[in-house]
Formats: sequence, C-alpha cells, structure tokens
Amino acid sequence: MGRRAILGACLTAATILAVGVVALNPGNTLGQEATQAGPFVAPADVDTNALRGPRQPIFYRHDIHAGQYEMDCRYCHYTAEVSSEPGIPTISTCMGCHSIIGSGNPEVQKLRDASSEGRSIEWIRVHDLPDHTHFPHMIHVNAEVTCQECHGEVQEMVQVFQFAPLKMGWCLDCHIERGVTTDCTACHY
Amino acid sequence: MSDGFSRRKFLKVLGATGGGAVALSGCSGGAAEKLIPYLVPPEDQIPGKATWYASTCRECSAGCGLHVRTREGRAVKVEGNPNSPINQGKLCALGQSSLQGLYNPDRVRAPMERTASGQFQEISWDEAIARVASAITQQGGDRVWFLTGNEAGSFDALINEWLAALGSSGRVSFEPLGYEALRHANNEVFGLDTLPSYDLAAARFVISFGTDFLETWMNPVENARGFTEGHSFADGSMGRYVHVEPRLSMTAFLADEWIAPIPGTEGALALAMAQVVLGEGLGTAPRDARRLSETLAPFTPENASSVTGISADKITTLAREFASGPSVALAGGVGAQHGEAHSTAAAVNILNYVAGNVGQTVKFGPDLNASAGSYQELSDLVSSMNAGAVGVLFVHGSNPSYSAPGSGFAAALQNVNTKVSFSRFLDETAMYCDLILPDHDPLEQWNDYEPRAGAYALQQPVMRPVFDTRQTGDVVLSVAGSVGVARAGLAVATYKEYLQGRWQQLQRRLRDRRPFETFWLESLQAGGVWTDIPPARVSLAASAVNIAGTVWSAPTGGYTLVAYPSSTMLDGRGANRSWLQELPDPVSKVTWSSWVEMSPHTAETLDIAEGDIVRLESDHGSLEAPAFIYPGIRDDVVAVPMGQGHTEFGQYAKGVGANVSVLLDGAPTVFGGQSHYVAVNVSKTGAHERLAKASGQNRQMGRGMAQATTLAALVGEGHGDGEEEHRGEHAVPVPEHVQDVLDRWQEDQWEDTRHGNYAGEHPRWGLAIDLSKCTGCSACVTACQAENNIPTVGKEQVARGREMSWIRIERYFEDGHDGEPVEIRLLPMMCQHCGNAPCEPVCPVYATYHTPDGLNAQIYNRCIGTRYCSNNCPYKVRYFNFYDYPNSADPHFSWPEPLHWQLNPDVTVREKGVMEKCTFCVQRIRGAQHQARLEGREVQDGEIQTACQQTCPADAIVFGDLNDPNSRVSQRSHDERGYHVLGDLNTYPGVTYLKKVRNTVAS
Repeated sequence: MGRRAILGACLTAATILAVGVVALNPGNTLGQEATQAGPFVAPADVDTNALRGPRQPIFYRHDIHAGQYEMDCRYCHYTAEVSSEPGIPTISTCMGCHSIIGSGNPEVQKLRDASSEGRSIEWIRVHDLPDHTHFPHMIHVNAEVTCQECHGEVQEMVQVFQFAPLKMGWCLDCHIERGVTTDCTACHY
Repeated sequence: MSDGFSRRKFLKVLGATGGGAVALSGCSGGAAEKLIPYLVPPEDQIPGKATWYASTCRECSAGCGLHVRTREGRAVKVEGNPNSPINQGKLCALGQSSLQGLYNPDRVRAPMERTASGQFQEISWDEAIARVASAITQQGGDRVWFLTGNEAGSFDALINEWLAALGSSGRVSFEPLGYEALRHANNEVFGLDTLPSYDLAAARFVISFGTDFLETWMNPVENARGFTEGHSFADGSMGRYVHVEPRLSMTAFLADEWIAPIPGTEGALALAMAQVVLGEGLGTAPRDARRLSETLAPFTPENASSVTGISADKITTLAREFASGPSVALAGGVGAQHGEAHSTAAAVNILNYVAGNVGQTVKFGPDLNASAGSYQELSDLVSSMNAGAVGVLFVHGSNPSYSAPGSGFAAALQNVNTKVSFSRFLDETAMYCDLILPDHDPLEQWNDYEPRAGAYALQQPVMRPVFDTRQTGDVVLSVAGSVGVARAGLAVATYKEYLQGRWQQLQRRLRDRRPFETFWLESLQAGGVWTDIPPARVSLAASAVNIAGTVWSAPTGGYTLVAYPSSTMLDGRGANRSWLQELPDPVSKVTWSSWVEMSPHTAETLDIAEGDIVRLESDHGSLEAPAFIYPGIRDDVVAVPMGQGHTEFGQYAKGVGANVSVLLDGAPTVFGGQSHYVAVNVSKTGAHERLAKASGQNRQMGRGMAQATTLAALVGEGHGDGEEEHRGEHAVPVPEHVQDVLDRWQEDQWEDTRHGNYAGEHPRWGLAIDLSKCTGCSACVTACQAENNIPTVGKEQVARGREMSWIRIERYFEDGHDGEPVEIRLLPMMCQHCGNAPCEPVCPVYATYHTPDGLNAQIYNRCIGTRYCSNNCPYKVRYFNFYDYPNSADPHFSWPEPLHWQLNPDVTVREKGVMEKCTFCVQRIRGAQHQARLEGREVQDGEIQTACQQTCPADAIVFGDLNDPNSRVSQRSHDERGYHVLGDLNTYPGVTYLKKVRNTVAS
C-alpha cells in the first residue's frame, strides 16, 4: 500500500470521526486483517485494572483507532515496510487529528499538553527482542506476514499486551512451516 | 546519561527505535524501558535505517571527503566519499577514528575560565564572549594575535579579515608536519613557495628520499591509491620503487629496494643521479636544465659514493632506471627532516627537473595546501610574546606546548595577558590558557577546506553538537559584534552565512549560473566542488645553483636519532583515541607506548634486549623508552616515533610513552623548520618492560604464510613459486609411512569440506587480498573496530595477548641477517571462513557453525565460552571477551560516555565470556540482501563491501561471491599468484591471498 492509500485511510477515519458515525467500511486493509465479519465496536466502559499489558502514560486505545475506525497500522507505524524498525508515531502524527478531535477527553488532553510543551511521550515498550536478535520488520511485512501474527489482534486490544512468546522456538516454528531460512545468522549477528 | 548504562542501551540507542525490555523474551533481564518518539518526524531520518551525510575529514591536512553514516541522529561510522578526487572513497586509520574525536569523553564540554585558584570553572557563552571582548578592548586590537594550525578556506579568510578589522597583523600558523624544507626548496629551485601535487599513478619508477608518502606526507590516502595503481603487479608488469632512508619505514615496506645511506646524505645521491641523467643525456630535460651542468659536475657517482656510502655503480643504475620512463622522486618527509633537508629537497627537485618530471608527475598549479606557516613563525611568535608585544593570544587547532617543547612557547605564555584557547581538549597548551572556548568537532561544523587549488571541500554538521560547544567562526563573529568591528564581511549573524557568502563568490568565479540554493545543495550533497587546474609551466630559478654549496653530513657523535611522525597519530593529535592507541604500529606492532628502534647490531653492542628501557640524551633533553629491535634501521641510527608522551590531553594519551620532541633542537633551521635529526647518547637504564606487542613472531619460521615472488619469476620462463622459496626453509621432511596417513586423512577431510561448504545455489562469500598492494597502513583494522563494536582492552591486556581486533596486519621480517637487506612481508589476517573449519566440530554447543552461504558463523547467544574453537583455530583469529568491556562497573570498561554513542546498532555488543571474530561484516551482507529483496532483485557484485575493504586506500581487499565466476573476487582468487594461508591443513579458506611481487631486477 502506498502513501496515498494510507492517507486515504486517515481521511476516512477523520471524516467519520468528525460526523460521529461508526465506520462501516467492511474492506480489510493490507497488513491488518480483522477476524470478525461485522463492524467492530470498541467497548465504551472497561475495567482498566483487569487489562493485560503495561499501563501506558496515555491510555491510548488501539481498539478504537485500529479496530473501530480501521486505521491502517502503518499510518502510525510508518516505517514497518521499509525499515527494521516499525516506527513509533511522532507527536505531530497524533496531533494531525487530535488538534481537531477528541476535545474533552482527558487522555487526548495529555497528548495536547505534551505537544504544546514540546515534550515527548515515554511509552512503555511491550514487544522487545533481546539485543542479540535482529528482526527486520520490512522483510516480514513485505512477505505478507500480518501484524497480527506476531502482535495479536491489536485492533481489539483495549490495552496492548504481548501476545506471542517471542521465543526463538516460536520464531522458528513459523520459519519452518513457511520453508524460509532457519540459519542462525538470519537473526543473530 | 552519566549514571552508567546497560548493554541493552548500547544497541538501541535512541528515540523512536527505543531501547529496552520488559524481560519477556530472550535471556537478558532488565527494567521496563521506554519508547520515546520524535515530536516531529525529521525529514531525512527513517528509524532503523542509516542516513548518510557528505562532509570533509579534518584530522590532517589532506582534506579527504567523508560519507558519514548516521543512525537516529548519531554518527556511527565514517567512510570515504567516492566523489572526492582526493581519497576516492577511502580513508586512513586516523580518519576512521574521527568518531572517537567527536565522542571523546575528554572533550571540553562547555566554555571555561581559569579562576584565581588556577582551576577551570564553567561559564556561559555570553560571559565567555564578554570576557574576550573586554580583553581585546583593554589590550587594544593591535596586540591581538591568533595562532592556528593549517587552515585553507573560509575560516582562514575569516580570521584574517577579523584581525584586519581589529587592526592586528598577528596571524601565525604552525603545523608540526609543515614541510618547510620542501617549500623552501621549491622556492629556491623553481621560485615557488608552494607544494605541488604528485601523480604517483603515472610513475612507473618511484624513488623516495626519506618521504613517508604512505603514512603522513601530504595526502597519504591519495598517495596509497596512486602508488599501488602505478606500482603493483597487473597484467604481467609492475612499477619499481626504491626507498632511500636510514630507516625502513612503513612506507618502505613495499619498496623493491631499500637503500640506507649515511644519515643526512641522501641529497648527494639525488644530485649524483641528476648528474648522470643530465650528463648521459637521458630523460627529457627541459632546455634550461643545461644551466645546471656546471653545478652538477662535481657530483659524480664516485664522489657521491664516498659521501653517502652507496656504490657508484648503484647510483648510475638508479639514475638510468629513473630516466627510462615516467618516474618521480619524492622528498620533504618530516621523518627525514634534518638540518639540511631543504638541500635534499632541492636536490630531488633538480633530479625531477632534469628527468622531465616537472609538469608530468610533479604538478605545480594544482598546489596542495598541506601546510601553512612554519616553525619559524612560531618561533617569532615566542619572541614577540617574550617581548611583551602580545596582549591577547588566541590558539586554535595547534598545541605547540606539546609539539614544539624546544620553542619555549609554554614559558612564553606567561608574558601574555589573556590566553584564549579554542581547543576541544584540555591539551598541554589549553591548560596554560585563561579561557577555553571549545570549538565544535569537525563533524559538527559548517566549514570548508581547500585541500588543493581547485578542490573545494565542504563540511556540514552530521548531527547536533554533543556538548555545549560553539563553532569558533561564530564566536569570532560574536566578538566582532561586541567590540564594534563587525563591518563589511563580518556583518553576518553566523559563520554559516559567512561561509555561504564565500561560496556565492566561488559560484560566480566558476561561472555557474544556477540559483545559489541549487549550487549550494548540490555541493553539499557531493561533498564539495572539484575543478581541475592544469599544471603550470615551471622553469629554474636563478637560485637553483645554490645547491652547490651544501655540505652533506650527518650529526656527529653518538647515534643519530630520527624523530618520525607516527603513521597513525601523526604529531600526537590522534593520541587520545583508544582505537589508535591500541592499533599496533605498522612497523613495531607495539601498542599504548613509545619505543626506541635500534638495529640488532646496536642492541648487541649496547647489550640491550627488546623491552629494556633505554635512555636517550641529546643536548636538548632526554627520554626513556623501551627498546624495539628492528633489522630495518642502520646501525648508527635510532628512531623514536612522535605523538606519545602527553602530559595532558585526556585519559588515553596522558602518561603514555615519551615525547620525542624534547630531544630536538628548538632553534629553527635555515629553512624555517625544525630538525628531526639529533645526535644522542644511548644508554641502558637496567629497567625492563614487556612491550605490549600484538605480534607473536617476527619471522615466519618457514610456514610460508606471507608469500612473495618476483616479477622476473612471474613473467620469465618457468614461473618460479614463492611458496617453495619459503616453505622448506625450516620444514621437516615427512617420512613415507606418515605421508600415507596424511594422504588418506586429506581425502576424508575433502569429503567433509564439501559438506561444510554447502556447494550449490547459495553464494559463497569470500575475500581476495592482494599482497602486492597492501601497504600495512592498518586503516582496515580501525575500520573494523568502528564497524563491529570491538572494544579496546588496554596495554596490560594486549601484553597478555588478549587484544580483540578482528583483523590484524601480520608483519614478518625476511632475511636481514648480518647486514643483508631485510624484506618485510605483510599479511592482513582475519577469520578465513574456512570451508572445512577446525573451530566448528570442537564447539560443544554449536555456537560456531557453517552458514549456507559459506560464513563461519559465531552465535554469541549460544556461546558458553569454552574457547575450544580458539584453541583449534590455526589462524588465531578468534578473540575472547575476558572482561565485561561494555559494562561501566567493570574496570576494563571500554566505552566511557559518550563514546558508546558511536556503537553500530546493527551489531550485537558482546559481553563477558563470549568468543567473537570476523563475520565478513554479516550485518552488511544481510542488509544488502534485505534491500535487494525489497527491490525484487538479486544482490549485485560489489554491492556488499566489508568495512576493511571499503576503507582500504590501496584497494587490496575484494569481497564477493566465490560461486559467481564473474565476480571480482572470483576472478582475483583465480589469479596465478593466489594461495591459501596454511592451505595444506585442508581448511579450505574463503580468503585467498595473492602473493606479493617484488620487482627486484630493473625491468
């Protein structure tokens, strides 16, 4: 998907948000295959104490952005197709929408405060590989491995948690299944 | 930042890519770490991908072009800029280490002033500029002096303009490697006080008169490329190179012949050669050369023979060879700068002139800006200081207290009211100053430099400044504003504007009619603008005949000491970098120390063994250093490299070795330089130290590792083989019954070999190294250290044989017994990536194994540190982490903050108890494979360059796929000179060496 398509996804999301209508677009976007058939609606009330995964400085909800509004993962994780690193959205990316929408939401206010103070948000890392392991995101994304295969159904996660064990055996299972390299120096160097 | 850092922080150094773990996977633990995004996405950065910037290396006067690799806003590696005509994509060890200048932990981190108690105290930049302005106002503009190193470009112009605006004429330049003798000689013989450029690629016969043109002289990287192009064996022919110097320097390693005349007399040899060339009507002498006939008449080979100690026949032969084709004679090296060095250089000028080389291989016109000012200028400054004429002294890029102790500079500083240093380090000169206004590192600066006439190289900041430093140009402009002299050209807000103003003028001069913005951006992208200036017509000056009056003689009494510039630290500017300290000297292989080179005969006479501390005493000073016994030096000469013995400067330099400059005569010579020859007494102190040498053996013991052959053998009948020449020197004949066993074993091994090598569709990565090109400069060693996050381990660990460098240059002596000439063999040695690797079967945990593409892999996370692999490796190329080098709590901590900013995020930092070795830069292989895959194509030959190959100034190393018959590496590997080191062990190495070729007989 090119940049235009990503922008398209964003505009759709923004437009829909602006008129307060739930997204109806049934089409799956590449790299983000929704599992259920009908439109996903993020739960309005959640018991935050019961959530898995680390508590982040801002209660950012992937289920609303990626699930309900079907924003493409790569709109925010903008380098996943070209780089080893998937990229963490810059504050200005968030503010692209949130300078207009989300007023009154205390979590959005935290973002706006950070932006106006020129401060970055220190997110807690959820998925991490040991330093002796190199994971090229771009190779996997371009081989049409969906984000969900390693990260789980993030578009339904109220708070992101580590879905897969990320152990070497787990990596290798997939590599063996797909008949791709199992050479140690594919990842370790 | 300063509160220590964990290994994991090393790797994922910054921001968007974040670093850290919630201890969910793998084997390392740790607290929750953060992902910190950018506020605004930088236009030119993609997290996880490198961004490259073009800039210019300012470590020496050569002005090589740089391509700086940055990751997430930090410079992590420098490479040569292929666009630059100076270095054409290559770099030397000092250039490679420029990142350790940028991230040096001893950098001055903020402006400082000296308090009444003598301590330095940090102040703000505003305060600092106010202090400077008030000192100038108080002392008066005409009492302001400015001392710089060699500058050629906008900064130089700015300083001159600034001083003129202040009403001062106190501009002094001092460059310790200043080539005063050569400039003086050029003036005397040709009436040109400049340094020409030399075209070594065009010369088929090179004769160097004590010129270390592959080490420090002019631009060594360009010289190395040109020289190897013109000299090394290719298509059945090669050039010839004769080196004339009392000492066999690194430059002379590739010499086909080394001639060691009586020290100080090499000029007589040059004159006698010129006499023969002119007398016999050889060469293509310009018409006015006849004027020299009379002057040269007394310099017959016979007369010169008695002066130099070289036979008359030899001199005649050399002269005839010299005139028989394109040739060049080189002079003016600092290591041979004796009191009459200007006459030597003049004699060599005459030799080049009568042979018709001037305008061909010696080109005036595209002059080099390799030096500015002189030692004489410094000496005059000292006199002015002592006379009380200097009120405010600014020092930038020069450290005379260290490099010229005999000049009295340090003492004279007391007579200066305000001393302001722009030094990035608290060096020996800065320590005496009142104000320290730290300059940006060259990699943080906007600037330009003109390495030679017509070549305009640009510097741009490759990252934000590491510390609270400020570019000197900006400081000078602020001061101009404060003291009210910011008129005309100085009325700009920043130095960058000043620079752009100059480039607008340049664009007009070049008649470039595009918008300036286009010109500027394109120049920045290319690293500069390169124009060709044709060689000027040169004729003899009337003073050329003055050479007749020269008395050729050596210093008398005792031994002659030669103080030569270190090939890696030069005059000492590189001393505070752990990479360079740990880089074995190309000649002695000594690290972290000074040493005294002396011949085996001298050592025997004085009853000195290697490592014995000897005392050298001259009329001017004394020093003590361990002895290194070297068959490549005359019996009446001892030599000590410059660059060590710092008393300040930083943690890596301070207190290491001895400063040889204290032995030298402080009085300027007639040519305005300093004599680097001095008579010394050599005595034994009785103390001894184990030299931290990174070499086990000086001789090959008949193992035939570094092989050589001769041109005659290659092109003549019968193809002689250098292997036999050295194999068998000490080899024991194998009994018949053993031979049978060996044969069968070999057959079995062959079966394994094919298994191990995964013959088939995969590539097999390999290297081909041409020993007829390798100069021994060791740039590859530092490049590898930089690319692969290799720690430095310190003197004591090197002495124990625990150095970590993945590639080493083995240096062997051949012959040289009892006065016969010694030959040097070089062998860059790294993991051979054996197809049948002895290390692999002995690893109990499969941490080392063979990859399908022919790499001998080392998997750090599997390694449990048994070291069996290392014990079983015949090449000794596996290195063990005896200590936790990346851990700040470990006494052997290798990357004090902010040095670790340089670490390559693509390479794992190894911890204690892990074996490591050359990977063929597997991160570059995988990176190129990934890129090719994204673009839907195959990896092209030449697309992957290992770090050693990329920097090699001589282009001696080629990397590629051995399974592709058309690849450059395959073709080189099938050269008739190709051989495998210890190939008879049936290791089936992936590295093929091409024998060195010596042109021993005049061709």
